[in-house]
Amino acid sequence: MLNYLDILDRANSGPYIAEQNWDLEKVAMTTRRLVKKYKLTWDKNDLVTDDASLSEAIFSAGYEMAVELGSYSRSTERIIELSQDEIDSGIRNMPQAVVMGEGKDARTLYARHLDDERAPLFFGGSPGTPIPEKIFLANVISYMQEPLIDLATCGTLVEVDGREVRTGNPIEIVSTRRELQYMRQGLKRVGRAGMGMLAAQSSVSELGDLAAAHPDYLRKCDSHLVPMLNELKMDHRNISRAVNSLEYGMVNASLPCVIVGGLGGGPAGSAVINVASYLIANLTCLADYHILHPIHVRHIATSTRDVLWVINATAQAFARHAPSIIVADIYPKSGTGTKELLYETAANAIVNAVSGGHLEGVGAADGNKPNCSGLEARLMAEVALATHKMKMSRKDANALVLQILPKYEHVFELENGNLGKSFEEVYDLQRIEPLDFWQKMYEEVRTELKDMGLKL
Amino acid sequence: MSENVHLQAIAAAVIDGEAEDAVEATQKAINANVDPLEILNIGLMEGANEVGKRFERSEYFLPELMLAGRALKGAMEIVKPILLAKYSGADSKVKGKVVSATVHTDIHDIGKNIVSSMLTAAGFEVTDMGVDVPIKSIIDKAEEIEASVICLSALLTTSMPFMKDLIKLLEARGIRQKYVVLVGGASVNADWAKAIGADGTAKNAADAVKLAREKMGYTS
Repeated sequence: MLNYLDILDRANSGPYIAEQNWDLEKVAMTTRRLVKKYKLTWDKNDLVTDDASLSEAIFSAGYEMAVELGSYSRSTERIIELSQDEIDSGIRNMPQAVVMGEGKDARTLYARHLDDERAPLFFGGSPGTPIPEKIFLANVISYMQEPLIDLATCGTLVEVDGREVRTGNPIEIVSTRRELQYMRQGLKRVGRAGMGMLAAQSSVSELGDLAAAHPDYLRKCDSHLVPMLNELKMDHRNISRAVNSLEYGMVNASLPCVIVGGLGGGPAGSAVINVASYLIANLTCLADYHILHPIHVRHIATSTRDVLWVINATAQAFARHAPSIIVADIYPKSGTGTKELLYETAANAIVNAVSGGHLEGVGAADGNKPNCSGLEARLMAEVALATHKMKMSRKDANALVLQILPKYEHVFELENGNLGKSFEEVYDLQRIEPLDFWQKMYEEVRTELKDMGLKL
Repeated sequence: MSENVHLQAIAAAVIDGEAEDAVEATQKAINANVDPLEILNIGLMEGANEVGKRFERSEYFLPELMLAGRALKGAMEIVKPILLAKYSGADSKVKGKVVSATVHTDIHDIGKNIVSSMLTAAGFEVTDMGVDVPIKSIIDKAEEIEASVICLSALLTTSMPFMKDLIKLLEARGIRQKYVVLVGGASVNADWAKAIGADGTAKNAADAVKLAREKMGYTS
């Protein structure tokens, strides 16, 4: 088994390559060649594929890429080479179950198979979204109090005590610890103190992450992000996050946000890079589970047709060929107080659930504004559970998603997006309940989804 | 071979991202006494414009932009001295120098890379400083190469304040008026750009090129 010190050694002594050459000559060109070799194509009307041979080809291409390229250390401009045996050992050692949280609130994240009898789990929160301190606690409670939510996550504090938070500045330590204080306080308030978290979201550099590794903040039963950089890259900052978990014992969630339309080109190439990213993250991020969060090069959102296809293709490739714990993010274009947000959430939830993923969300309004609330996370969980209980086939799931898409696709053409309203404008902050108009909108969309055949 | 055929060959090489072909076609056009300004404006720029359009239509992706940028750079290296020799002062008419960087503490580069590639493809001379670049280094580089435009990128909300710091430092050094400062990134919007005293922002790479051209006084 590869020792983590070996990763550090290789980052210091591997073959030198300029970053631009890594991007173009290694990643982009290898992707092009593999997409051609494996004859990978996507169909904008077949977003939830049921094609085992396509899934096998995507996995094989991603595996070949991981073995051939390895990873790149941006800090040292060197290639971290990984052998086939090491990639294989990473797959073999990928955890199949991870307990998060403690006591009555503990949940076991597991590697989902296709058509798994067990229901997916749900992380509730708006990961990475900038949230003002004055509404932070109420906002996280709006998710934590939802009965279907199993695990908690949150946005990012962008100011503390009236001061602007700057990455890498000492105030990042304050903001990350403050975030965790609010999270723990919120969990106690809703009577779920033992609920597991994916948190320290205010730690954008490694600084906050290191400062939060303490039982008062991020417990050993909680998880934190170990991001990869686009594409297939690491740097010493993010390696530090993984190294810090070695002795402390937090759960590591790898986060490669593959850009769909970026170096991998279209959806097929992006899925190949996503597969390779996970195989590499097993070793370089010490991943206990993986976050699935492809990003659209222009729209950001995970609810576009091409990104939905990449989510489906990547999660299925692992569910069929190397079962791993995958948590698929939902990041819609629209914000709270809009029906489009609910349609986007529903389409994403269906794809994620039938493709072998657990779910996390909802990062409403592209995670750009504090326009997010617990209500859309409720819908995310309800829709995903309905597909699970109905034992929905991938063919039926595809048909349903194609019905939902026309209800929201126009938002990608809106010049200023579809930001909706802020949390304060859709929730009663004292009672932490949706305001009537937002509740009514949710119920109307729920009824529409039922009329489409979803057994909610 | 007619002038038009030479120019079409140059444009096609840029569109295909074939650097060697672009250099060869440009050299052939020069040998055939095609006006260097036409090589630039019709051959290279029209090829670059087509690349930009295909990117907007999702027919091209980042690798195609990068390859087109390489082809353009190679062709410019041989056409530039001839252009300068023929047209006195043409240097200032055909391009501006740009320093681009993702600001201190932010390590996201795809958006910045796309804008840098599009600006290069549009004829700007871009010095891309990479990611996590301290503001002082960005200003020092702009001064060193006598740039006209500084393009700043930040995806992280908590890195955006460094854009404001850069503008303040330009003001403190008394050199703010020397530069067009453009800001961009997922969380950056027009209100933010205005609030920090930047010269503008754009929603996408194509608009960023339009904005840079507009701020540099290009009319077409």
